[in-house]
Amino acid sequence: MGRLKQKGKAGAAKAYVTRSSAVKRLQCSLADFRRLCILKGIFPREPRNKKKANKGSTAPTSFYYAKDIAYLAHEPVLKKLREHKAFAKKISRALGRGEWSIAKNLEETKPTYRLDHIIKERYPTFVDAVRDIDDALCMIFLFASLPSNLRVSSSLIANCARLAAEWQLYIMHSQSLRKVFFSIKGIYYQAEVVGQSVTWLVPYQFTQNIPSDVDVRVMLTFLELYQTLLGFTFFKLYTDAGLVYPPPLDTSKDESGAGVGAFSLQETESTVPLSTPKTKNSVKTISSKEVRQTIKNIAANSAAVDPEPDMDVDYENEDPRGLDEEFVAQPSATEPNAVATLPTLHLLSSIPQTTSMKLFAPYAFFLSRESSRAIFEFLVRSFGGRIGWPASLGSGSPLQETDDSITHVIIDRPVTKKPNETVEERDRRLRRKYVQPQWIADCINAGKILLEDHYAQGKTLPPHLSPFGEREGAYDPMIGPTNQDAVDGEEDVMDSEQDDEDIPTPELAELGPGVNLADDPDALRAVELAAEVAGMDYTEFEKEIKKSQTKPKPSEAQTKDDGEQDMNKMLMSNKQRKLYERMKHGERKRAAEHAKLEQKRQHIEKEQRRKT
Amino acid sequence: MTVAEAKKLLKKRKQQDEEAPEKPAFEESVALEMLSEDENDADAQSESDDGEVDAFPEIDPRSDSENEESEKSEDDDDELEEDVEEDSDEDSHPDLQIFPKSKTIVSDITGQPKRVYPEIEPDYDSDSSTEDDPNRVGNVPMHWYDDLPHVGYDINGKRVLRPAQGDELDKFLQTVEDPTAWTSAFDKNAQMDKPLSADELDIIRRLQAGENPDGDYDPYEPTVEWFTGKGKEEIMPLSAAPEPKRRWLPSKWEKQKIMKIVRAIRQGRIVGSKPTNADTKSFYPIWNELPSNQEPPLPAPKPRLPTNSESYNPPAEYLPTDVERKQWENTDPENRERDYLPQKYSALRLVPAYDRFIKERFNRQLDLYLAPRIQRTKLNIDPNSLIPKLPSPSSLKPFPNYNSLKFSHVKGRVRCLSVSPDGAWVVSGDEEGMVSVWEVNVGREIKRWKLDGKIGAIEWCPRTDVSFFVVGTEEKLHFFIPPHLTPSIFNLTHSLLAPATLPPATQSPIKWMSSASSTDGSILTLNLPSSSGLPKQLAWHRKGDYLASVSSSESQGGVWIHQMSRRHSQAPFKKIKGAVQLVLFHPTKPHFFVATQRYVRVYNLAEQKLLKTLMPGIKWISSMDVHPSGDHVIVGGYDRKLCWFDLELSDKPYKILRYHTRAIRSLQFHPTYPLFASSSDDGSIQIFHARVYSDLMTDPLIVPLKILRGHDVKEGLGVLQIKWTNKQPWLVSAGADGNVLVWCS
Repeated sequence: MGRLKQKGKAGAAKAYVTRSSAVKRLQCSLADFRRLCILKGIFPREPRNKKKANKGSTAPTSFYYAKDIAYLAHEPVLKKLREHKAFAKKISRALGRGEWSIAKNLEETKPTYRLDHIIKERYPTFVDAVRDIDDALCMIFLFASLPSNLRVSSSLIANCARLAAEWQLYIMHSQSLRKVFFSIKGIYYQAEVVGQSVTWLVPYQFTQNIPSDVDVRVMLTFLELYQTLLGFTFFKLYTDAGLVYPPPLDTSKDESGAGVGAFSLQETESTVPLSTPKTKNSVKTISSKEVRQTIKNIAANSAAVDPEPDMDVDYENEDPRGLDEEFVAQPSATEPNAVATLPTLHLLSSIPQTTSMKLFAPYAFFLSRESSRAIFEFLVRSFGGRIGWPASLGSGSPLQETDDSITHVIIDRPVTKKPNETVEERDRRLRRKYVQPQWIADCINAGKILLEDHYAQGKTLPPHLSPFGEREGAYDPMIGPTNQDAVDGEEDVMDSEQDDEDIPTPELAELGPGVNLADDPDALRAVELAAEVAGMDYTEFEKEIKKSQTKPKPSEAQTKDDGEQDMNKMLMSNKQRKLYERMKHGERKRAAEHAKLEQKRQHIEKEQRRKT
Repeated sequence: MTVAEAKKLLKKRKQQDEEAPEKPAFEESVALEMLSEDENDADAQSESDDGEVDAFPEIDPRSDSENEESEKSEDDDDELEEDVEEDSDEDSHPDLQIFPKSKTIVSDITGQPKRVYPEIEPDYDSDSSTEDDPNRVGNVPMHWYDDLPHVGYDINGKRVLRPAQGDELDKFLQTVEDPTAWTSAFDKNAQMDKPLSADELDIIRRLQAGENPDGDYDPYEPTVEWFTGKGKEEIMPLSAAPEPKRRWLPSKWEKQKIMKIVRAIRQGRIVGSKPTNADTKSFYPIWNELPSNQEPPLPAPKPRLPTNSESYNPPAEYLPTDVERKQWENTDPENRERDYLPQKYSALRLVPAYDRFIKERFNRQLDLYLAPRIQRTKLNIDPNSLIPKLPSPSSLKPFPNYNSLKFSHVKGRVRCLSVSPDGAWVVSGDEEGMVSVWEVNVGREIKRWKLDGKIGAIEWCPRTDVSFFVVGTEEKLHFFIPPHLTPSIFNLTHSLLAPATLPPATQSPIKWMSSASSTDGSILTLNLPSSSGLPKQLAWHRKGDYLASVSSSESQGGVWIHQMSRRHSQAPFKKIKGAVQLVLFHPTKPHFFVATQRYVRVYNLAEQKLLKTLMPGIKWISSMDVHPSGDHVIVGGYDRKLCWFDLELSDKPYKILRYHTRAIRSLQFHPTYPLFASSSDDGSIQIFHARVYSDLMTDPLIVPLKILRGHDVKEGLGVLQIKWTNKQPWLVSAGADGNVLVWCS
């Protein structure tokens, strides 16, 4: 027998500390502790056994790793927070005594902290940082649209707006936007940056008000971290793309509401050692760029917007329209450099998409005034298109409404007849295609230009589906019989496929044991479940059902099998049985959801058929 | 009074009324003049006023004589005054007297005699206060005099009568008629309006204009230099000390201190404060140097990506029905499956702001820093792969799978049954004391016995050369010989149970009583000790010589072992822990299994010691059987568990099964086939294939084969006992519903 073990000296009791004891150990306030946890990314842990971790108590508490807390104790930010506490005391004393000059001196030497080291710690590599900027982008875009008040200063909002614009500029420049989804919560964008897919959500352009049950302090602390993170990330992205960071802001344009156009992208000088290979590349690509540019211009038949053929590295004198053209032309040259990592499988799968990167290149768009400029300027320019807007949506429009090169008008209002239309206007109207905004998103998600007819002004739009897909085996509204005739026509083709599929699932061929499945919903349900268990696709299942209804094969093998399986469940261990039940429960729930959607759809279709 | 006089009077009154507004104003102006006279220097006007005042008493009597009604009291005062005046006149003549002579009169207020001094002559050398306002009540609330005819007292204590006051109409007329009415004010002391003097009006004007009320005050008067200025220098200094040097020499120490700072600045030790916040926004290539080889913290899980139902224009089937909407609204926000309701908008411009946007962002952040994270490996397996793969029951035939015949006991539940060693006969006993012997194949009853009391247990002797069975009733064991035996077997059995020559008697509390004559009764009866209760189990040794019985009483000595050949009974245990539930003989070795409520103990009877204790973990053991090989034991409990013990392996069960929904009642291994069965109170019988391998490495194979259902559950009791037939894979089961069923393959 070894030495007696003392209680609470080893194991979980030592590895975990409760939050209150952590605060006590760090000698800081709870608010400071919270702030530190947010900045350092330290979160509570769930001990395997709460009783062991909390000295036998089972009271609900949150536990942290003792090592995390020990690590926090040496945090420079914690030191700064303590200094700030002392500073706050000093300045309140000076102000209380009316010693203004002392207060001013103190204010000048106010302790501030930087988060660089935290960024480096939390994200040791650049890829780590890019992987984790989703939340940061959401927050930045949210705060960029908030009104300023006492708690949220206007400078903070301006900084958020600047970061948001920088991100959009980079995405447009690198043409890395992949998917867009108009949801009821806002607009989801997905871009592929450094091989990582980054998804962010932008609220619609309405004034948001911070609800009272939201702790603004927490949000601001997060925002503090996110601003720093995004600053460093954008710096790296811009410099890797051979651009100057931060991009210079033209204040006069900004004031006139140019939005993203107020920033101008500058290429770096070749003296920067970092981007030496890049600048070489860009020098090389200038000729090819020009060639492509001219080809594109010929294709677009737009002589009006011809950028200067001899472009210097400095684009400052150029008009923003020319700059936009520039973004379109060169991404392929810079993108491979930006992606420094090895080509992952994910990356390789995205390569075929590059053809769709210049989806809108041959087209020029014009926004009608009710559609949001911020959204569509970003979308169209990310895919190489040109876009103009009326002056009511802000200045700096590269295209005027009367421009002949405009091919599409994005319009979001019902059709109205114009009483007195000049011939010219009528001509223009007939030449252009009027599409609803959803067309842009659906084209981007489909990776090809869709027929404009379904999206024409005033038409009922086809449903807008999530490009991110549902989970495996979920209900897919695109598959299945949209109308009965089409299915009947396809039956022959399906049957030929069916023969191949019969081989792996022989027991499914004998699904309906003499029961008329169409009449008996319970039986149908059971069979459906069985099919689900067998991992069968729903469409196949439906075909099977149809088949079985045409030629019912009476056999009891299936039910027998079920009985055997039920009996074999006796020999499962308790743990396995519980796991099995859980999985089955989930399966049943998903199947029920699926069936419900299907049923609703059939109901709706029936209603429609009755109407017509 | 005559009419003429009345007319005259009326006329005079009118006249007086006309004069009345004039008169008080006049008097007031006089009084006010007198007041202001104190402040200002006496001038000619005041002198003339004084004269009028002096003349006033002379004028007054003229007018007063006619209006006696209104000023009667005043007249009294006047008369009194006149009296006093007369006195004073008399007294004033002798000027030599220092003190004026006093006079004692009867006061008309108190009615007491009082001393009155003569009036002081109002000369210029006398006190100016004599010229003051006649009312001397001082600063008392004037409403004290509201219901009195006078308004105060003058300096002599004489009443000052209230001046005549008209009604509201008079007042109004007065304001209209009198051009000075707007510059007059109510004098509290005199109880009448008095016109304000020019000075007073000037003060009011100044106050209104916000100026100093004193007209003479000059705010810009030149300063008078009393102590300084030209010609007023002090000639004599206070101290004669010479001026110190420090007044004009620069300080050395200050210079040293300053030089120290200057030197520090020159050497760069002190740097001026640079503008702060200059470099907070600067970014630099932070990821240029190699990362430390420390593992990066795990990234936070990403939120779930939106699905079709979140679209602004989803397919119509995603839209919730009214029922679903209501259900969603009624559930708590934290219990909702998704945090939004799908909605459909016909155009993008119609999509409103999402009201919970900030709240959701905030919740996400709370998750990020407050939620504990656990890394889970996602199990991506087919749930059916968890079910153990076992051989199909159809390949493990034969096993009983259908009910071939039913034998019914009319009344009472069948507690026990036994099958003869050759497998042709079944004996079953019910709770009413009926014992029936019937054929397995056809179910024909050939004999029945009626015993008194419940039948606790029935067991057929396993010997093949003899044929008899034992029935346990209350405190008794009865031995019966079934009918239709071959003569040789019958003779042998008879000689065994009722031998002609009894073996030597042994000392035992249990009496063996043979009755050779009775053919339809029990041939041999054992009287168990009294109060031992119903024998709940009987167990034969394989060779058929020993019989163990377990009585239901909790007292000691529930277990007895009876030896047929010696007709001797003995209690193997002096003392045993717990209540014995079951006993069993080991099929091959001289071992004895004893199941108490929670444990199974294995004893070696030859060496008389405990071999091992099996711990099935069952709360209450109900049944037990040992495999024919003797290496495996199954134990069933009332808590639905069935434990399989491998005796070579461990004291703990090799496998625990729980498949019955109610208590397990009976278990048995088939003697020859690899089968075992269990029956339960849920009315079902479960047949298992149980193959035991001779090598120790292979685990026994247990395959559930068939669930037999045919018994009804009555009063919570289902199938009470099951028995296999020896040669066939057939099962006989006795149920609480009074039926005995035979299950065939």
